[in-house]
Amino acid sequence: MATSFRYGGYAGQILRVNLTTGALSIEPLREDWARDFVGGVGYSARQLYQEIPPKADPLGPENRLMFMTGPVCGTLIPSGSRGSVCAKSPLTGSFFHSIFGGYWAAELKFAGYDGVIVEGQADRPLYLWIDDDRVELRDATHLWGKDTLTTQAMIREELGDDEVQVATIGEAGEKGTPYGMILVGIRAAGRGGMGAVMGSKRLKAVAVRGTGSVKVPNMLQVYNTSLKLNEILAGNAGVKGLLEYGTARNTGPLNAAGILPTRNWQTEVFAGVEGVTGEAMKEQVVKANRACFGCTINCTKYSVVPSGPYKSVINGPDYEAVFGFGSMCEVDDIKAICKADEICDHYGLDLMSTSCTIAWAMECYEKGIITKEDTGGIDLRFGNAEAMLAMAEKIGKREGLGAILAKGTREASRIIGKGSERFAVHVKGLELAGHTPRPFASAAVGYATGPRGGSHHDARTTAEKMGLSDRKVLDDKAALAAEVNHFLIFNDSVILCHLAETVWGPIGVTENAVEALNAVTGWNLDVEEGRKIAERQWNMIRCFSAREGFTRKDDQLPPRITEDPIPEGPMKGAVMPRETLERLKNDYYSYRGWDLETGNPTREKLLELGLEFAIEDVC
Amino acid sequence: MAKVRIKSFTVIRDVLGAEVVEVEVSSPETVKGVFDELLRRYGAPLKDKLCDSASEGLTAFPLRLNDEILSSVLDQDRPVKDGDEIAIIFPVGGGCQWPRLSGMAGTPARYSE
Repeated sequence: MATSFRYGGYAGQILRVNLTTGALSIEPLREDWARDFVGGVGYSARQLYQEIPPKADPLGPENRLMFMTGPVCGTLIPSGSRGSVCAKSPLTGSFFHSIFGGYWAAELKFAGYDGVIVEGQADRPLYLWIDDDRVELRDATHLWGKDTLTTQAMIREELGDDEVQVATIGEAGEKGTPYGMILVGIRAAGRGGMGAVMGSKRLKAVAVRGTGSVKVPNMLQVYNTSLKLNEILAGNAGVKGLLEYGTARNTGPLNAAGILPTRNWQTEVFAGVEGVTGEAMKEQVVKANRACFGCTINCTKYSVVPSGPYKSVINGPDYEAVFGFGSMCEVDDIKAICKADEICDHYGLDLMSTSCTIAWAMECYEKGIITKEDTGGIDLRFGNAEAMLAMAEKIGKREGLGAILAKGTREASRIIGKGSERFAVHVKGLELAGHTPRPFASAAVGYATGPRGGSHHDARTTAEKMGLSDRKVLDDKAALAAEVNHFLIFNDSVILCHLAETVWGPIGVTENAVEALNAVTGWNLDVEEGRKIAERQWNMIRCFSAREGFTRKDDQLPPRITEDPIPEGPMKGAVMPRETLERLKNDYYSYRGWDLETGNPTREKLLELGLEFAIEDVC
Repeated sequence: MAKVRIKSFTVIRDVLGAEVVEVEVSSPETVKGVFDELLRRYGAPLKDKLCDSASEGLTAFPLRLNDEILSSVLDQDRPVKDGDEIAIIFPVGGGCQWPRLSGMAGTPARYSE
């Protein structure tokens, strides 16, 4: 049950699970870290900087897996009940955070915990059962090898409670696939291999049931703040379409703008787009809407393909699945994308890394770098939906070529070689998301300098797409990238959904985000103080990477982005030349007060932000 | 008088009733004139989708005028001519209001693609 923590919103305690010894313990949430880093990703970054030794094996017992909530989780604040999971990533080799929606995070808060830290390595499969203040590790031998949805159902049946929220891995996580994800109810902590870290610890699932509540200092203030924020959401033109079409509504418009990454980024115009638009999805497969806890947007779609080769039932597909399995692989059938989405959920694979790695393999195949013999008889050409699905299955099982592709685009290209590295589209090992940096300078420098690499949650194209910042003006783009970083990291710590950019962003720490945080915690932060917290959070994560040996030289974009202009469409000719990127990096490091040579925080900056403990590691 | 073809997607297409519609604008023959005419013709249902409740003005979104990507807010004065096509690239991302662009000074310098 919740403690009498000094600030509202927080449960005030963290559950620690040592899988090597089986010890379970509770430790207080640190008040000073709550003020300095808030919660979610910010708090986790501070905690894991202290706990994970430099150069630790991401799949070894020294790594930590930290589930965390934010102070607004479990309250009325809309789009605010998400959770984060952080660890050193087996895909990128540095600090990684993955955010998930659904109900699990609120349930954890109701059980009386802000977060869960998992350490060590069990000698047999286990799952964690949190039932308010009764916590136990249970045998999961019978669940090992089971797919994610079956695991969730079996645990609920075993515990005799349909309301239990379950975060689980599939076969991919069990086998250490570096982009294995964690399925959390109907949503996923998708990117960066958090499921592989969980699997390396032989932790199959974390099941949670909570019956408590979240204490706030002034309920009326929280109510009124939520009402105001919901009115803004309801009145905003950008949000309204999410209910009707989900995030896949972006597909057609992005293609019309000539910025829909296609054919492994060989172009950004997809001739077959009509088969995979939000409209096609609505007409052909969507049956209902789904919402995360406390959210009025309802962006998740429940889709069914009732029969045929693509028979499937999924929560989705979201835009990133349509981009990855659609335009990137040149598959023009929304039903095939649903099936691919289902396969990824089944095995617990990040569908973005899966699809983008398959698209890279398709280019290898068409260039003759890999052959039908290598693929096990699969005709892995662009546009072949059956081939795409067959290869996704092989990745899930780690069979044949699938075992190589399961390592991700970067590692697979190193293994296969023969020039395939030239068109391996990733940043720091993370395959680039479906939002192009070629015409958008702030997104380009944001992706390059982002701690996770190719994540559209470290860099956003929104401001430039919308015309909030003229994309052909270069001088403000580094500052824009940094202030977008601040929007994103602050929101990942409170935790507020990036999709509701209308209310929380899309640039900088906004009054709405600070107001929501203040209402719940009882704080009286202003926007500038919020921005300082965000800057501290971002620098904390950069320190983690710096300690791992990352420097300016790692802040790169792949050759396809820096050397290959978009060949057609309204953005024809757009490219992000390396010399432009280097200039943007200088601007970015200068804006942040970082060292131009190393690209890392300076002693002065760390002192300014109260991060002096990192000086000897970084400077 | 300029006849301009309007191409749209998802929620906007639902209001306009077709993938492509045509509008005539006379004064002014600009992007703003096109959207004024669209809002006059389709009324509250379109305003509900394209305008923010608070400001009642067009929300920020990209649009494609023939082969060029423009901003709904920055480029309202851009002239249109007979036979032009505008694609409403909307919505993209989670939507947004005009934010404060504080702390981002600098003399704009254009760069070549």
